[in-house]
Amino acid sequence: MIYRYIIIGGSAGSFQIVTKILSALPKSFNKTIFLCLHRLKHVRSGFVEALSIKSNIQILEPYDKEHIKPGKVYLAPANYHMYFELGNYMALSTEEPVNHSRPSIDLSFFSAAFTFKNNLIGIILSGANKDGALGLKNIKDNGGLTVVQDPAECQVKTMTTAAIQTTKVDYILTSDQIINFLLKLE
Amino acid sequence: MEAEETLAVPIEEIQLFIETVKGCSEYNFSDYSVKSLSRRLEKVLIDNKTTMANLVTKIRNNKDFLEKTVRDITVNTTELFRDPKAWHAIKYGILPQFKDYNTVNIWHAGCSTGQEVYSMLILLYEMDFFHKANVFASDINIQVLEEAKKGVYKYRFNIEYLDNFDKVIKENPYNPDEHTDVPYSKYFDINKVNDIIKMKQFLVAKPVFKKHDLVKPENVFYTKFDLIVCRNVLIYFNFDLQNRIFDFFHDNLFDSGFLLLGMHESMLGPITAKYDKRGLIYRKK
Repeated sequence: MIYRYIIIGGSAGSFQIVTKILSALPKSFNKTIFLCLHRLKHVRSGFVEALSIKSNIQILEPYDKEHIKPGKVYLAPANYHMYFELGNYMALSTEEPVNHSRPSIDLSFFSAAFTFKNNLIGIILSGANKDGALGLKNIKDNGGLTVVQDPAECQVKTMTTAAIQTTKVDYILTSDQIINFLLKLE
Repeated sequence: MEAEETLAVPIEEIQLFIETVKGCSEYNFSDYSVKSLSRRLEKVLIDNKTTMANLVTKIRNNKDFLEKTVRDITVNTTELFRDPKAWHAIKYGILPQFKDYNTVNIWHAGCSTGQEVYSMLILLYEMDFFHKANVFASDINIQVLEEAKKGVYKYRFNIEYLDNFDKVIKENPYNPDEHTDVPYSKYFDINKVNDIIKMKQFLVAKPVFKKHDLVKPENVFYTKFDLIVCRNVLIYFNFDLQNRIFDFFHDNLFDSGFLLLGMHESMLGPITAKYDKRGLIYRKK
């Protein structure tokens, strides 16, 4: 199977893990990574900058209808839901928050699962609610590969535990193992 | 709203809805983004506990229900001073350009329940442009316009945006030492017991609200504009319709007029040649 797209969801406790993953991936990494992370509502800017400090890969907050390119990281903008469209571009919306979240991990995962099918890897990291569990199941149902951060390693394990309970996930990995896994995709 | 699989409402049902609405009203959803329309329609079907066949029958027979459905399909998210960065662009990048104008015409296209309009009025007042500004606002939906005209909002839904008010009105992002003390009561009354924020009468009396459907290229205000604000509206349309609207805005801006879109919206393709872009701000060439 050729995995071209990786979508990562997380909330509380995921920022450090995402930073760690991005700092370990080489500049030449040619998959597309989507990040759907809950953030505090009043922290609306500076997130890309903070993530970029240690990343070797360019991190962008996409514009509505922006074309998806390989070797980029796209971060769901604060206060928007992020979707994927056939024709390889992204769409944003300001529809109602889902489970109090906008961006909603479930919505982005559903949309990615439908659009990218078995070319997709879904990863759930540390987080404080159940968002993402149904989305990860949908990725699995659409032929994608599912990975969850080992709850034992998570700062807050609600999100990963919910994901594991909802789906028979393919891998439960520590952050170091996630990095090795991604590096081997190359 | 539950998470759902994309295109949970099949394309044939979406077509049936579009054709029905087109046949019995002036609304035309043909050029809406299919995926987002599908999500909205699924929500409508779930909320009404009905099927598409029943929905379209009811739409044909009941004008009020049609209006309500239009409201439910369109996304009405709006906040006081949503995205302070965008308001900084207005405050420091756009409005100062109008300093020597005798009048300033501003159009909020797709104003929903009006929070953005009142944010603009407050900023205009603070910058001493209020008296020479003509503020126009439109939306496809009459019900949200009626709410906008009242300028009364739930306190508990909007309380967090007082923080945005502070960022835009009281603070200067370019000078952390600057702080203007502006009491909220200058512009609105907060009634915590009744859960209400009520805009002051002098603000409520100012704007002209009219129904307008961006799908139709007609100017319902019969004037050109110095600034058009259209944020997070065009994201629900397909690429072709977006470009037709950018053209329409271009025709209805005064020379060197400004256009402000949502934080994560941009123009793509040939239309970009008609505008200069600096940061968030588009300016008519």
